Amino acid sequence: MSVPDYMQSAEDHQTVLVVVQPVGIVPEDQFFKIYKRIATVSQVSIRDSQRLLYIRYRHHYLPENNEWGDFQTHRKVVGLIAITTCGSAKEWSQTAERFHGQKEVYSSTLYDSRLLVFGLQGEIAEQQRTDVAFYPSFEDCSDVEKRVEDFVESIFIVLESKRLDRATDKSGDKIPLLCVPFEKKDFVGLDTDSRHYKKRCQGRMRKHVGDLCLQAGMLQDALVHYHMSVELLRGVNDFLWLGAALEGLCSASVIFHYPGGTAGKAPGRKLSMSQAADAGKRHRPGAQEVLIDPGALTANGISADTSTEIGRAKNCLSPEDIIEKYKEAISYYGKYKNAGVIELEACVKAVRVLAIQKRAREASDFLQNAVYINLGQLSEEEKIQRYSILSELYELIGFHRKSAFFKRVAAMQCVAPTIPEPGWRACYKLLLETLPGYSLSLDPKDFSKGTHRGWAAVQMRLLHELVYASRRMGNPGLSVRHLSFLLQTMLDFLSDQEKKEVTQSLENYTSKCPGGMEVITLPDGLKLPPVPFTKLPIVRSVKLLNLPVSLRPHKVKELLGHNMSTASPFIYSPIIMHNRGEERCKKIDFQWVQGDVCEVQLMVYNPMPYELRVENMGLLTSGVEFESLPAALSLPAESGLYPVTLVGAPRTAGNITVNGYHTSVFGVTSDCLLEGLPAVKTTGCLVEVIPSLPRLQLSTSLPRYKTLNSHLTVSVQLFNGETQQLTITLENIGSEDIETLELTSKIVSTKEKVFGNFLSWELDEPLSHLPLKPGQAVTLTVNIKVKLDFSGQESLLQDLNDDGISVTGLPISSPLRQVLKPRPENKPVSSEPGKAEYSHIKTLEAVLNFKYSGGAGKVEGYYRELSLGVHVDVEPSVFFTRVSTLPATSTRQCYLLLDIFNPTEHELTVCAKNNQDLVLHASECQRMAIQVDKFDFESLPQPDQETARFTNPKQLQEERQHAQGCQINSKLGICWSIISFQSLASFVV
Amino acid sequence: MAVCIAVIAKEVTVPTQNKLKFHYTVHTSLDVVEEKVSTVGKSLGDQRELYLGLLYPTEDYKVYGYVTNSKVKFVIVVDSSNTSLRDNEIRSMFRKLHNSFTDVMCNPFHNPGDPIQSKAFDGIVSGMMVQTG
Repeated sequence: MSVPDYMQSAEDHQTVLVVVQPVGIVPEDQFFKIYKRIATVSQVSIRDSQRLLYIRYRHHYLPENNEWGDFQTHRKVVGLIAITTCGSAKEWSQTAERFHGQKEVYSSTLYDSRLLVFGLQGEIAEQQRTDVAFYPSFEDCSDVEKRVEDFVESIFIVLESKRLDRATDKSGDKIPLLCVPFEKKDFVGLDTDSRHYKKRCQGRMRKHVGDLCLQAGMLQDALVHYHMSVELLRGVNDFLWLGAALEGLCSASVIFHYPGGTAGKAPGRKLSMSQAADAGKRHRPGAQEVLIDPGALTANGISADTSTEIGRAKNCLSPEDIIEKYKEAISYYGKYKNAGVIELEACVKAVRVLAIQKRAREASDFLQNAVYINLGQLSEEEKIQRYSILSELYELIGFHRKSAFFKRVAAMQCVAPTIPEPGWRACYKLLLETLPGYSLSLDPKDFSKGTHRGWAAVQMRLLHELVYASRRMGNPGLSVRHLSFLLQTMLDFLSDQEKKEVTQSLENYTSKCPGGMEVITLPDGLKLPPVPFTKLPIVRSVKLLNLPVSLRPHKVKELLGHNMSTASPFIYSPIIMHNRGEERCKKIDFQWVQGDVCEVQLMVYNPMPYELRVENMGLLTSGVEFESLPAALSLPAESGLYPVTLVGAPRTAGNITVNGYHTSVFGVTSDCLLEGLPAVKTTGCLVEVIPSLPRLQLSTSLPRYKTLNSHLTVSVQLFNGETQQLTITLENIGSEDIETLELTSKIVSTKEKVFGNFLSWELDEPLSHLPLKPGQAVTLTVNIKVKLDFSGQESLLQDLNDDGISVTGLPISSPLRQVLKPRPENKPVSSEPGKAEYSHIKTLEAVLNFKYSGGAGKVEGYYRELSLGVHVDVEPSVFFTRVSTLPATSTRQCYLLLDIFNPTEHELTVCAKNNQDLVLHASECQRMAIQVDKFDFESLPQPDQETARFTNPKQLQEERQHAQGCQINSKLGICWSIISFQSLASFVV
Repeated sequence: MAVCIAVIAKEVTVPTQNKLKFHYTVHTSLDVVEEKVSTVGKSLGDQRELYLGLLYPTEDYKVYGYVTNSKVKFVIVVDSSNTSLRDNEIRSMFRKLHNSFTDVMCNPFHNPGDPIQSKAFDGIVSGMMVQTG
């Protein structure tokens, strides 16, 4: 006996073994169909005796094992059901022959046999035979179960007769010595008359009767017989059989204590639940109320006298004793090398009992012992079976780690180098089953939050093995998935060297079979969820970026007001909703425009010790149609936070949500969703996309000026009083027509006082070109005119002094006023000490704002603004260092004497109304006399009531001065020009 | 002859001989630890013997276990051929280990959950490995 039956349990001792076998040619599927139907008859209630007979069916049983039938009768094949097909009457004799041959194999132990013939019709089938049943086909055999029950009853009759026969052996009769196959030679030449030998025979027979009683459903009798047998065999130190008697005692007790069974299998038993319940109520019908004290029995048979009433429980072992006795039995078995299988099976049975008793630790002792039982040379397949069953038993007692360990050993055994055809598929399957034991699941979500679960070192090993096994199975897709999982979840535990190795092999695999995001379903239904590489690279924050200033859409005001009404009625509320969960869904308060490229900035870093190449990195969005423009990046080893901008263009309008990003690393594409990444900081992922708007591009005739502001700025250098034209070309570079265009200007706050219109333009001409089709352009001319007050500059004054020119009074560029209306308190603002510019050059800045709109965005009430900055450096041109008047020839006129100073490096001419030109060389000062009409300032119009409310006298003063200056200016009409520039500028007052 | 000493806190393992074999040995021993702790905990309440005794013997090694009140597990694997080590010696080894571990945890600069980096602890552990083996 070399092949253990690992599925055995204690209650199998009460079953009778029936072998069901095909004879001749029987289609396998048909055979198993019939076999299953037969197997449903697993317990039969015997008509007259209230007893139940349990049947165990096997379709394969080694005759070698049958030889142990005397030792434990449930190992004995007592019934044979042969299934055969027979096409014609001619074949019948041959079939019958075969059936007999089959019977021969188990002839020594068979009680009865049956032959089920399928397909035969006609004369032979008509005849009534008890041992043969004819069925026309495999489909048409409704009474198979009935037949089997009849068959079982006939077996019972034989069993019962055998039991009675053995149980009532007369004391005078010579009891034959029962023995196991390997003992036979030991007893040759032994004195058969010795008391010792007789006792041995008695003991063994008693045990045998106990087995038969148990099988025949007489539990209490069996207990009694076992008890007696134990006594007898203990006396003669017949350890092997003593062990068997003890085990029998245990089995009977287990059957008594746990009627539900210990194996948790036996589908037949479960089918007839009502029956089983009945049996429970009837107190084990086989017990027959024979309550016998073993001591009251004679050694030679059961006395019919059962007068001594003893509690049933006395014969039966208590749950604790069952284990003790199992231990003892196993220790006896252990003395015999040839009884290894018996010992192993006993261990398995004991473990099952302990599992029911929930005594895991003791069960583990039994299992530990079972591991060391040497069964001689085992084939690889047997080893696998053994490890698997150990694993199952460990699982049964709740030792999941140990179970996983043995399952893994079994898996490794499947592909042991000694096996010519390694079973990688089986190995892989077994390895998958070990996963729970190592707290490992194949879903990366389980590892994305909290601390790492389980034992990383062994988990890594297991994953490596899975990768290898799946590769050998010829399924590179699986290898890639497992390897990705390994890399993603065990990244923190991999050494630099290992990281390198893992990624290298991953790249190798993906070169053949790129990894993706689909769920892999294994043949047995297990689903392997996709593994997105959220750690390669690690993303720390996601930020949606606003459009560049010039492209930002603005809402037309009145429509905005309409929008506001739908929002909260409160302008301000101190209650801030602290809802973290909604933070991600929070709408961002800027808009993207349909068709325009928008950007999302990610802060990423590479945790790998080498350069990481991320390809095809793009955005995952929902809500509107979005065209993502993927980027490829290469992150240096162990990089710090590294900004990456992902771009794309929404193709329709609506609300867009950025759900995540996709990458392709080492040939594995991943879709990383933000909701699965709690560590990622984000300021909100929902943005409104408004309908498309046109785009305008500006180009100017003047050079650009570099500036800190985001908008385009042109720069020009002018002398004070000079006028320059700026040509702006407006081109529609978008895809929508520009339908409206507005232009405004604003002077950037300056402390300088600007006279006159700084910027002026004529918009009618370009407006006539509207709507502007894409690709078209219009030009617009803007006049830049600078008139600044350069008076009172200390440094300039200094220069004048150096030139040896005597300066009286204040050197102001508008000295006329000073002279005509000398007021000591009225000093120009700019001449205050400390306020003096250190440079002669003054700058003036203004912004031209183009508002334009068109297309669908205009309908929605949006427009865009494009700004053009104008930066002008103003240099001083002409100074009047001194002003005085002389009476002229006419009383209505006088001469105005002006000392004019040219601070520039160019020669310039100055002319006044009805006067000749005066040529001034660089840094030259000359006097000019102009004849003018006298006039009175009082004749100027007084400021009207509205302006009179300027209570500040200084402001009033300035107002007045300005008006006066204008008047003088119009009278004089002084202008100058730099000869070399050929430019003409009007004089600044 | 202690061939392996492991400290199993919430998630940290410090097997001093970083061999996969011992990883497996210690990992499977946790089944027994779990079983012992759960059964003892029920019957005796808070008064629990920290030393769990022999967890299980294998062909080559004996595995002993010890669980602190905060459920930190110590596992010592010794060569099974070494008969000189009695239960009492193992017990004192665990006590020493526990004391040393407590010292490590008392270090304000130690971050619970990080791998233990302590010269004193290493000294104690390697002392046990050397002295016995």
